[in-house]
This record gives sequence, C-alpha cells and structure tokens, in this order.
Amino acid sequence: MTSTHLHSRSVEAAHAASALLSAFRLGVGQTLAGWPVLVGRCIFYVILLIVLSALWDKVAAERLPGTQAGDLPPGGLALYIGVTEWITLALPAVHLKLEDDIRSGGLEPHLLRPKSYLAQTFSQSLGAAAVRLTALGVTALALLAVTGREPPALEAFPYIVVLGVLGVVVGVLLYALAGLMAFWARRTLPFQLVIQKLMFLLGGLYAPVTLYPGTLEGVAKASPFAAHLYWPSAQAIAASWQGFLTGLAWQGLWIVLLSLACVRLWRAGLAKVLREGGV
Amino acid sequence: MLVGTASRAFTRLHACLPPSEPSRRSKSPMSAVITIANLRKRYSYAKRGRGLLGGFSPQHVSIDAVDGVSFEVGRGERVAVIGPNGAGKSTTLKILSGILEPTSGEASVLGLTPWRDRKALAYKIGVVFGQRSQLWGELPARDSFNQLRHIYDQDKAVFERRLGEMVERFALADLLDQPVHRMSLGQRMRCEITASLLHGPGLLFLDEPTIGLDVTAKAAIRDFIRDHARDHGQTVLLTSHDTRDIELVCDRVIVVNAGQVVVDQPTGQLRKRFLGRKVVTVLSAGPQIVVDLPGVTRRASEAHAVVLDVDTRLIRVEQVITAALAQGGVEDITIEDPPMEDVIHDIYASALAVR
Repeated sequence: MTSTHLHSRSVEAAHAASALLSAFRLGVGQTLAGWPVLVGRCIFYVILLIVLSALWDKVAAERLPGTQAGDLPPGGLALYIGVTEWITLALPAVHLKLEDDIRSGGLEPHLLRPKSYLAQTFSQSLGAAAVRLTALGVTALALLAVTGREPPALEAFPYIVVLGVLGVVVGVLLYALAGLMAFWARRTLPFQLVIQKLMFLLGGLYAPVTLYPGTLEGVAKASPFAAHLYWPSAQAIAASWQGFLTGLAWQGLWIVLLSLACVRLWRAGLAKVLREGGV
Repeated sequence: MLVGTASRAFTRLHACLPPSEPSRRSKSPMSAVITIANLRKRYSYAKRGRGLLGGFSPQHVSIDAVDGVSFEVGRGERVAVIGPNGAGKSTTLKILSGILEPTSGEASVLGLTPWRDRKALAYKIGVVFGQRSQLWGELPARDSFNQLRHIYDQDKAVFERRLGEMVERFALADLLDQPVHRMSLGQRMRCEITASLLHGPGLLFLDEPTIGLDVTAKAAIRDFIRDHARDHGQTVLLTSHDTRDIELVCDRVIVVNAGQVVVDQPTGQLRKRFLGRKVVTVLSAGPQIVVDLPGVTRRASEAHAVVLDVDTRLIRVEQVITAALAQGGVEDITIEDPPMEDVIHDIYASALAVR
C-alpha cells in the first residue's frame, strides 16, 4: 500500500469520525431541545426508585426466601435497581426511529448521502443516551443525598459508569435489531416486546440473576441481556476489579456480535429496498 | 377520478403507438450529464387471494413502472419530467439518484452508474423530495446544515461561504435559528433546497418541489432554482404537476406516460402548443354568466358557476373577466392552470395525430 493510499485512507477515516461525532452532538442537541421530556423522565426515575427501594428494603428486612442468596448488603438491592433503571431509562427508542424511517420512506433522503445511515443513527442515539445518563445519574445522586441512603462504595463508581455506558450500547444494539426487522415485518412491536421481556428476565431488571438457580444463572449471565443490565448493576452491590473485568469482557463480546448482526440485517434490508423501492 | 380516467385513456392510446425512441435532442457524450438507455423497472408484489386461506395462495402481479426510457441531459440544462400519477417520473428519478436498481437498461449520471456508485454519486448530486424532509425537525435549521457539512466532508470556509450565499438569496437569516418543525411549509422548503445545495452539487434532482405551497412561496422557490442553476451552470432535473414550475424553471420538457417517453421538446415549443391555457371559474348569485368570445370554451357548469377554458394565445384572461363582470352579479372568480392530466392528454393526443 502506497503512502498516498494510506493518506487518503486516514483522511477518509477522519471524515467518518467527524461525521459520527457530529451525529453524536446532534443526538445531544435533540435530547436537550426536548428538556421537558427529560425532566419528566427524571421524575419518573425518582418515583420508580422510591417504590422499588421500599419494596426491596421490606423484602430484605423480612428475609423472604431467595433474598439471602449471596451476601447482599442492607439496601444493596435498592442500589442495584437504581443502576438497572438508570440504564433502562437512558435508552433511546432507536427501534421506533428505524421502524419509522424504514416504513415511511424517510430512509430515502439518508440513502442519498455518502455516510452510513446506520452508523449515523447509532451515533445520534448514543448522543441522546449520554444526556439521559448524565441527567438520571445526577438525579440518582441527589436522591441518595436527600434520603440519606448509603451510597455504593466509592471505588464502585468508575466501574458502574464504564459498564453502565457500555450497557447502554448493548441495549441500543438490541433494540436496533428489533427496529431493523421493519424491513420485513409490518410492525416491530412484537420483536421489541420479546427483547424487553428478556431484558427483564435474563438481564435481571428487578433482581440480580445470581438469585436464579445454578444453570439458569449461568445462562442469564452469558446472555446479551446481562451484558446490558446485570454486569453494570452488580457493581453497585459488590464492586470488584475482577467483576468489572468479567462484565467488560461479556459486554465487549456482545457489542461485537450484536454489531455484526445489525450490519448483516441492515445490508440485507438495504438490498431489498434498493431492489424493490420500499418495504 | 380524473387522474385514473386520464391514465387509463393514455394506456389505451399507448397501445397504438410504437415504442418510445431515444431522445431526439441527444447530446455529445462529453457534454451529457445524464445518459439513460432503454431503462426498465418492473415492480412485483404478491396480491392476496380471496377467502380465509387467501393469504396462503397469493397471486404475483408485475407492473412496468419504467418501460424502456431513453434520453440524455446536457450540462447546464434544466429539464422537467412530467406525466400523470404512476407514469414513472419518480421511479426514474430514484434510479438516477441511485436509490433504486433498474430491472434492466443502462444509466450514467456524471460518469457514474447510480445504483453501483451510490455513495460516490451522493457527493455530486443534490436531491429534494417535496414530500420528504431531510432536516432534523426538533433542531434549528443551522444545526441540520452543520450536520450536513460533516456528512459531505465540507471544508468549513467553503461551507460558510455557500451558506452565506443561500441565506442572502433565499432570505433565510431569520430562519436559521428556528426549529424546523415550527416553520411553514414554504420556509421549510427553502431550507430543504438550501440543504441539498450546500455541498455544491453539479446536478440537482427535484421531485415535486412546490407541492402544497402557496403562490408566493412557489414563486420564490422557482426563481431561486432557476437563478441558482443559471449562475452556477447547474443541471436540473425536475418532476412536477404544476405547469408553472415547468414554464418558469425548465428549458426542456420530457413527457412520460405508462413508463415511456411520449414527448421530448423545448419548453418554448410546448408552451406555444399546450401551455397557453387558463381555467377561469366564475361564481354568480343570479343567472349563469355567459361569455361568448373567441378562444373561450365553456366546460362543465353548475347552476351558479361556469367554468371557462381560455386560450391565452387568442384572448387575454383580463378580457374574459371584464366580459364576465359586465354582466353583473359576479360573486367570485378563480383563475387556475389546467390540470396536468389535461395538458398531457392534449400533448399525447397531438403526438398520436402526428404519428
């Protein structure tokens, strides 16, 4: 490869990165422009945390069956829920945007552009998620301060932030898979519901998957849904370098696999649109 | 109803005609920006059978949306592609812009094959769909323009210069910081056209750019497209149902029907032959108005309304209105262009008579 080729490649890569960064900023701008919705989301987060914390505090206090598994610290489940909901509520509805663009023909203007629609959409979604993560994170810290509840250990915070952000990336990819089904299905709602329920069940939305019996726990931990929710949230209960690295490894694996699946679906769907002129 | 009837009539007429020939106004290969030869696009879809189990035994139906279209467009030409609904205009435009693969045939746009070189072509063309937005609704237009700068890898200084030019010529200064979803349709369309030109394309595709706009907004859009193309040597390919778009923007017209080119000639010629008509509707409180003047034909009328077909080559609209007002009792008068379907029908009937 000649130096001219290398130079042209690096210029191309710089342009691609600049367009992705710009799309990210666009997502940030869009979410900030809809600040009343963001405020509503934060209020909803507070309500959820108050209700679920009360529930889990009662369960822990009365030592109901199942809650003694592992060494859950007092209030640990409430913190766990705080992180799972932080991630869940930060997820943008990327599946709805994809479905809308694909089914309404809104994809056409994007196909007339030289940059990948899929990459641009991901980047924009992550921009939106970044604003939500920040707003919800600040809300959670404020709530901890107001209620006087014991926060996670200080060393857990960087682990939670890194795994939480990557958990959102996994979530965006999972929902994107549902959205991309719009190329073949009239509605993507059934796919979205299945993914949502699996996030609930195998991701450990309301309780750590360590409460599941042996085999089921193993299956859940290895699933993309745990990479989305369980691994970041587990750090709120028991932060450890080893747990962080394990979570990071699972998230890395699933981000690669889900990205490949999204690209594969996108290419197949795009070929269909270019051939048939719509869906 | 009119569209459906006209389309069926054309289809019947078409059966009498030989297949369309390549454009008689062919350009030399050096100057041709668009060359298409024998382009065909066949859509197939499954039609559900009857009854409860109909879904399990669908019938496969095929439609030839574009059926052997050939023409060339030279650098700097402004060409209108017109035809009734379902004639194949938008399909042709989609193929030429690279977002639809033809079933067969060849096309070259700025030296590239659109459906194979879609991304490379994207840097060289601008596209405006009248019924689709390419802007981000919640954000100010400035943010959309800035995003497009990154998507098209534009140098900031060049981008700012182009945007400045558009802002001045299109009076966008007050709109730049306004969220797109709060703009009127006319304001939004000015921004859409600006967005499609910011990367300096040599070729502009416009699909119904004035659809739904009021008279003032239409005039602004037409003036801008024409002047910008003329000043920058830009080639324009436009589809529209509005005869004024064609008259005021384009110097050549290609009429398509049932996927085939029916007529391909300069707008001036077409105007003389087919576009010199107006439809004047006069509403009256009392007895029906009667205007008996040369060049005026009465169309279908109701009790208190008369619809007049005015041949403006023989008589001015002003004379017709004066004659109507002289009879007294006039409550309202509207002046419209004849429906595109009527114009095309005249063109088509004329082509049939010549052959």
